[in-house]
Amino acid sequence: MTVELDLNVLLDRINPGRRDFLKATAAGAGALAAGGLVNLSAVREAKAFAYEPYPRDDELTTVVTSCAHNCGSRHMLVAHKKGDVIVRLSTDDGRYQEGGHFGKDTLEEPQLRACLRGRAYRQRLYSAERLLYPMVRVGKRGEGKFKRVSWDEALDYVARKMIAIKNQYGSTALLDQSYAGASYGVLHKSDQIEGLLGRFMGMFGCRTNSWSVPSYQGTTTSSRWTFGTIEDGNEDDTYAHSKLMIMWGWNPAYTFHGGNTFYYMRKAKQNGCKFVLIDPQYTDSAAAYDAWWIPIKPNTDAAMMAGMAHYIFTNNLQDQAFIDKFCLGMDAGTMPEWTAHSPNGKENFKDYILGTYDGVPKTPEWAAGICGVKAEDIKKLAHMYATTKPAALKASWAPGRAHFGEQYNRMAAALQAMTGNIGVLGGCAEGVGKAWHAEAVAYPYDQYANLWFASIKSDRWAHCVLNYPNVKREEIGLWPRQDKLDGVIPNIKGIFWQGSDWFNQLTNINKEIQAIEKMELVVCMDSTITPSGLFADVLFPIASHFERHDVALPWYKGHYYIHRPKVIQPLGESKTDFQVFTELAYRIGHLTGIGDHFGKSYNPKAGRNYFNYDDDVDEAYLREWWETKVMAHQHVTMSWDDFKKHGVYKFKLDQPHVAFREQIEQGKPFATPSGKIEILSSELAVVDDWTRTRYGSHIPSIPKWIEPTEYLDSPIAKKYPFHLISPHPRWRTHSIFNNCAWLRETYEQEVTLNASDAAKLGIKTGDTVEIWNDRGGVVVPAYVTERVHPGVLVLHEGAWMDRDAEGWDRAGNPDFLTDDAPSPAGAFAYNNAQVRIRKTDKAHRPGWDQLATSRSHVFRRDN
Amino acid sequence: MSEEKDLDKIKQAVKRRKKEVYTPVVPETQLGFIHHNVDCIGCRACEIACKDKNGLAPGPRFRRVMYIEGGTFPEVYAYKVNMSCNHCAEPACLPTCPTGAIYKRKKDGIVDIDSSLCIGCRRCEAACPYGAPQFIPEQNIVSKCNMCVDEIDAGRKPYCVMACMMRVLDIGPIDKLAAGQYETKAMAPGEQPVRAVKNLADPELTKPSIVFVPHSKGKVE
Repeated sequence: MTVELDLNVLLDRINPGRRDFLKATAAGAGALAAGGLVNLSAVREAKAFAYEPYPRDDELTTVVTSCAHNCGSRHMLVAHKKGDVIVRLSTDDGRYQEGGHFGKDTLEEPQLRACLRGRAYRQRLYSAERLLYPMVRVGKRGEGKFKRVSWDEALDYVARKMIAIKNQYGSTALLDQSYAGASYGVLHKSDQIEGLLGRFMGMFGCRTNSWSVPSYQGTTTSSRWTFGTIEDGNEDDTYAHSKLMIMWGWNPAYTFHGGNTFYYMRKAKQNGCKFVLIDPQYTDSAAAYDAWWIPIKPNTDAAMMAGMAHYIFTNNLQDQAFIDKFCLGMDAGTMPEWTAHSPNGKENFKDYILGTYDGVPKTPEWAAGICGVKAEDIKKLAHMYATTKPAALKASWAPGRAHFGEQYNRMAAALQAMTGNIGVLGGCAEGVGKAWHAEAVAYPYDQYANLWFASIKSDRWAHCVLNYPNVKREEIGLWPRQDKLDGVIPNIKGIFWQGSDWFNQLTNINKEIQAIEKMELVVCMDSTITPSGLFADVLFPIASHFERHDVALPWYKGHYYIHRPKVIQPLGESKTDFQVFTELAYRIGHLTGIGDHFGKSYNPKAGRNYFNYDDDVDEAYLREWWETKVMAHQHVTMSWDDFKKHGVYKFKLDQPHVAFREQIEQGKPFATPSGKIEILSSELAVVDDWTRTRYGSHIPSIPKWIEPTEYLDSPIAKKYPFHLISPHPRWRTHSIFNNCAWLRETYEQEVTLNASDAAKLGIKTGDTVEIWNDRGGVVVPAYVTERVHPGVLVLHEGAWMDRDAEGWDRAGNPDFLTDDAPSPAGAFAYNNAQVRIRKTDKAHRPGWDQLATSRSHVFRRDN
Repeated sequence: MSEEKDLDKIKQAVKRRKKEVYTPVVPETQLGFIHHNVDCIGCRACEIACKDKNGLAPGPRFRRVMYIEGGTFPEVYAYKVNMSCNHCAEPACLPTCPTGAIYKRKKDGIVDIDSSLCIGCRRCEAACPYGAPQFIPEQNIVSKCNMCVDEIDAGRKPYCVMACMMRVLDIGPIDKLAAGQYETKAMAPGEQPVRAVKNLADPELTKPSIVFVPHSKGKVE
């Protein structure tokens, strides 16, 4: 915008005798509606305001869509566009839903208001990092030198290379590292299991799958063992009914699993609910809900929970009727007979807690010695939890992202069960927390979906590549098969990243950097360049979710669908993932002599012109999905055309959705082998050869405290005395949005440490520090506070790596420090890394001009 | 050495000068903000919505969520104070403007800067005790929150309010808000808003059109 000063107007203003400007500003004022602001019939003022010329919302084209990145929630975005450019975004204001009007925001149908990340989408969409053309690498791998090529050249190169790799190395040579980063929709989907890439590579006949989920594998495995499902979540609105909410490692002020979780919790607070936070950090959630903060040493949560269980059992505060009716292996009375002869299932939980087997009662005093929480506080919390009804113990994912993280989640499930807080309104069985079974797949989902020829723990790929062929199946968590491929170690020679920045996001990046040297083909499909993309051979520019037709839904909570039309035409030469895979399938078919067969089977509704024109085909898939799945299975009567017109469909539930309500109220069996809540896992009880399981090593059948390899009291802490945790940031979604300047203004990538530690080390807020261990080192600014447990460092995950010549990451990505050895059940070890820290002369490189953008410190005050 | 100054005379002169330059507009209804300092999760969605709405480059921030924390481990506390322009009853910025670019709307008391008149002298920036005016170097002008007058005139609420995920930020007639008589989700039943919290300039300076539901540690005696 240029500023043109109109001299006559200026003279009017500075010479009051010429005209009374104040009078002019007040002219034509529309009266406010009595008692309120909303008066749609108000006469619009003729007076120009400050930023004229400026298009008002009502003069722009308005399109309802949603955000689309890898967080658990999904919120409405409303694009206001001029021509084919989105000039601003707003969010749900109640107008768009059926029967809606401006300002409608009820507890039954709350507005789906987007968070700061969603509101920053224009900066991601129109960023300088946006990929607009296919590119191929011309420099060394990782050097970041590419040249622009035609789609024809890029696709042909990839198709020929895929065929050559499969022919030479076999059906496990291509590694699928797709993830949910760029494209959470029902049609254009990137995912480890349900994604478009998995089906494409599976049909091609060459795919090694990555089975463990970085975010929550410990939790997932625990929920499946205990309840037989990951759908152990209550809908958001149930929180408003809790009398006590224990947030265990949970920070809903930062991470979202539902549309309005945090808001319903505010309602709970207003209803008199008491909040407790167990966390190494005093988070914004603790502040907002005025919680009792219990600081805990990281990775000792299972010990504290065992101490609580001991208090509850020894004071006879457990809900014995609930245990007797619904639980397996909670105590001697709920042990099935067969386990006495099983290889791994002879112990019950209560006797473990009481110390019957090992002579160590897991008393609150015992737990206090491990977790650092005073025994008195453990008892007080246990008493509160056992005697307040209903009470929600929300066991979040973060403490489970550690060695033996699954034990924490299973221990939580045992507490939830022994207090009878499962299946009741205001209680909680989470866990994973998936609260509904959405109809989530609109593309062909058939016998080829998630077809794989080897499947490994996701964080073991570098270990597998670097040690091939001298790798044991248990080292990489090889998933058992029933055919001759069982136990065959994959010889990985190529990687596909679809909607995935895994190279930047998995553990122990330095090991990955060694491993990627051995790859013969690395393909990255994304809408922007990413740190992973810099290591690719071929970059495919992918249309963002504003540039393709889809429907959005939240993963876990919030019963709603949001229509996502093609708001603008794809930027540059970008194409959708679906278009790229379809065209690759045609090309591979022709190169291998099967003609159109592959392409036609991969995308049955499309012809080969799909690469250039996708509107009708995408519409057909989505309409079919809506009519045959959503309308047929979910009691939805709104037609597809009406849904498109409104842009959003919000379910109204007859009663708040509570997981396992049917099991508790109506006696429906749980989906476990025994039909009970399995505190003792039937699956684990019968295992005798752990190397032939995907776990690779022994796991007890009941929840136990198991000392992890790295924590504040482990031997390695003598060398590396600080425990680094790497929680999810608020200002990014993993690594997504790291390049958005507006969001940079709200934060700095910085390490948080306790003031007493900082005083000993001579570190002040704003000092640059280096943090290192045997795996790597990073350079970041420090933030000194009283809000974190002494001995703990907090460094948020997702910073875009930026290595110097010596291998220090100047951007501060914690995954240069984390361990790539996962827990047996698959949990990533993101939250146990012992490190050292000191002041440094090395410069931090935030990736942008620090002075021009980041100002978060300015607003911090003490007292 | 000069004679003793007649303090009363000086006061009279200052008063006269002030009066000659600017008589505050008395709006028909003064709109203002309410913010719940405790229930705010500090997500800054309001800030980003504002940046997007106003097309701001990195640097200027019309709305700023301040993070306040204190105490000693493990007895700590934290709260947020969220502020943009307070559309003061007696705006300190307005009389400093040499071009008359700053004005206060008669109908709702919104204080705005006409960017076509601003010469970027930044006097208003220095005068405001709340840091509301923001310099935009690319355009050499000062800009600030205008409470989204376009939305207000269309009968809606500003972008920041409509962005608030926790519904702790709202606008309304400030006298009703201050008296706790305006129905809003920003405060819970039984809560009483206040005009001043710690770490902020004395509201008597400019009579800002904003009230807060304070944190116990943020209360001003």
